[in-house]
Amino acid sequence: MSEITLIINGRKVKGREGDTVLEICKANGIDVPTLCHLEGLSNVGACRMCVVEIEGERRPVPACTYPARDGIVVRTHTERLERYRRQILELLFTERNHFCMFCEQSGDCELQKLAYRYQMDNVRYPYTYPSLPVDSLSDYIVVDHNRCVLCGRCVRACSEIAASYTLTFTRRGWKTIISADLGQSVGESSCNSCGVCVQVCPTGAIFSKLSLYKGKTDECEKIKTVCPACGVGCEINVLVKDNNLVRIESPSLTEPRGALCRMGRFGLLEPTPPRITSPLVRNEQGELQECSLDKAVRVIAERLRETGDDFAGIISTRVPNETLSLFHKFFGEVVGSEWIDTLDGESYRIIIEGIKRFQNNKGMGLNIECPIEEILNADCIVIAGADPERTHPIIGTLVRRAVSQRGAKLVVLHPSRNVFPLWTDLWLKPKAGSEGVLFNGLARILIDKGLVGQEIPEELAQSLSQHDVGEVSSATGIVKEKLELAAEIYGRAERGIIIYGEGLLKRDDPNLITSVLYLADLTGNWVGDKLRVISLKPGANSRGAWERGLAVKGIKLDKPKGLYLLLADEPDDEELLSWLNGIDFLVVQASYHSRTTSMADVVLPSPVWAEREGKYTAMDGRILELKKVLQPKVPQDREILIEISKKLGRRLTEGGVSNGKD
Amino acid sequence: MAKIKVATAWLDCCSGCHMSFLDLDEALIDLANVIEITASPITDIKEFSPVDIGIIEGAISTTHDEEIAKKLRENCKILMVWGDCACFGGICAMRNLFSKEDVLRRHYIETESTKNGRIPSSEDIPPLLEQVKPVNHVVKVDCYVPGCPPRAKAIHYALTELLEGRIPILPSEMMRFD
Repeated sequence: MSEITLIINGRKVKGREGDTVLEICKANGIDVPTLCHLEGLSNVGACRMCVVEIEGERRPVPACTYPARDGIVVRTHTERLERYRRQILELLFTERNHFCMFCEQSGDCELQKLAYRYQMDNVRYPYTYPSLPVDSLSDYIVVDHNRCVLCGRCVRACSEIAASYTLTFTRRGWKTIISADLGQSVGESSCNSCGVCVQVCPTGAIFSKLSLYKGKTDECEKIKTVCPACGVGCEINVLVKDNNLVRIESPSLTEPRGALCRMGRFGLLEPTPPRITSPLVRNEQGELQECSLDKAVRVIAERLRETGDDFAGIISTRVPNETLSLFHKFFGEVVGSEWIDTLDGESYRIIIEGIKRFQNNKGMGLNIECPIEEILNADCIVIAGADPERTHPIIGTLVRRAVSQRGAKLVVLHPSRNVFPLWTDLWLKPKAGSEGVLFNGLARILIDKGLVGQEIPEELAQSLSQHDVGEVSSATGIVKEKLELAAEIYGRAERGIIIYGEGLLKRDDPNLITSVLYLADLTGNWVGDKLRVISLKPGANSRGAWERGLAVKGIKLDKPKGLYLLLADEPDDEELLSWLNGIDFLVVQASYHSRTTSMADVVLPSPVWAEREGKYTAMDGRILELKKVLQPKVPQDREILIEISKKLGRRLTEGGVSNGKD
Repeated sequence: MAKIKVATAWLDCCSGCHMSFLDLDEALIDLANVIEITASPITDIKEFSPVDIGIIEGAISTTHDEEIAKKLRENCKILMVWGDCACFGGICAMRNLFSKEDVLRRHYIETESTKNGRIPSSEDIPPLLEQVKPVNHVVKVDCYVPGCPPRAKAIHYALTELLEGRIPILPSEMMRFD
């Protein structure tokens, strides 16, 4: 784009063709007031606060939508413009209830700040006092229409960033209001509670129930960390006041992962079960009783000495890499047992074995998968046995963005549910357990139709030739035409991506994963040395744990005598609970009291996500820093492992293990 | 030099602005050297006589409020208003979201602790206006000190400016609506 020169307030400034006047003003430090404009959203010129005079234009124009041209002369702060701005503010204040003293957002309100800036100490126009509803049915979000200035930021964010398209304007003229699904309550609408509307609302019209009256932005410390809710690895800003969580925001709405989901924005602020603040040991009456850390550590050390390599360890993948590494060392070198696993280790073993069986794996392991940003570049997305909207909502957002904003085709393979009901081009409903046949059938059709991007290895071609489309159709219960259509959509796409998850993983068959990789490989869906395939890993730091070799073998085939379960702040898991039955000696290190801790012989405290620090490996391999947001109420997981090692006469450090005490 | 005469009134309000004025603490002593407060809730003098500065706290809610505002306006050279109620309607204007009848019924009859309630009526009780209004929607106002209540510092600034012969407009950093 070519450079242009324009004159703003008598000063020559440069910009690029295509920039708006507002963008050039901002880049040159000229402070034009705005209200409906927000970085990361499209500009609509709704509020008129940014009006500027441009020589040759008959009337003032909004700077946010006015494309700059070479040579134009702009004035941003004339007496007339300042008068208009003050007038606009007065009109906004008369339109609805903008009395600050009973508004939760007072102090954090952009409308209020503008009124202060323009010294708006009175209003000359009659107030209208419309009677508008307050919608508080949602678990998290309150919409008070009386505080709304109709800037439309929420409507734009809901479409452009969240790709939810729930919020819109209804009615006309001065009766216009924001509405969810054309007149539903937000709580009963298609809203998925991503909360982006809360973050972008400039007034007290949309706010979060979980942050009410907890503190103003100015009173909070803002700490940038990573969301521990799933493996996508979204960066979050956590606002903290007096060691309490106030609010969670996206640090940048312009990033692909700048959208947050209900789990990150709200879920992390929800009330939690009671904390474990002190170690507990089962006493002679069989009750768990508080004790000193020293005593708890002594009891554990004694049992470890007795039981030795018949002791197993399971660790949550919500803990950072440093803790994972130390846990590995603790077991291998202090306990002397290789019997360890992660809570989600089974998924790993299936994925990694599936990748191994794929001939073109190049020894890359998990690195064969592409970054999640590739979803936005895709022109076809296949969701295979996954429900990202539920388990990894930001993947869901990226899929909806690719489909609704970039025209990508969406194919869902799911035996019982269309997981993107509003957006799917084709839903294949394979009979339970027939996914393998389906994948091979699709591969066969791709080859038959010549939709493969490369020569087929003989062996593969032979094995696939056994799959007759008719047989595939009867085995999967999917009509031939649909199978062919799916193959056409995926095969003709230039950048087709396959996202798979728990639905495939729970089938316990690595060949399914291998088939997925072959489908991508056959159609030439490589981006550099990575395949356009993404597996949805269950934990926030699953990849970090798996890459550290914590889930290589698995432990559940046999039952150990003793088990050290580092549960951290994970909830109870029914399957795990029943497996724990019959273990002689159970140590549970956890943040909250739960059914799992009530089964333990020794309970150790564990920090919650906000009290931990270290590194996370996101599911596509990015390394992210988990910061300590709150002052911990209990020792770090690592410190306790070190204490137990000391009792056993070993010195455990992040560098290694040595004999003897400090 | 003769002292500057000041009269104040509170209308539909909580008296918080007058309390904020008393929060000037030791600065009141210096002010007392140059101003004389005539009619005011502070002096308990009810009848207005001509003054230099009239001050109103509170919104116009009743016919009585209207009358007081007009009387004070007639008797002062400069009228200053204090607080969000007087400047904008403020918390008093919450009742404008409902009809006058609904507000009275809710308050005197329907409240959970009320038994056999009735809406009081007497010629001693001024009737409510249909809508609560800021003072400048009823009489001309010369200067405004918003805030709920205005901080003592803001009141002091406005008074000092007036005493020095300037009509004050609060600087942005002194503006507060809460």
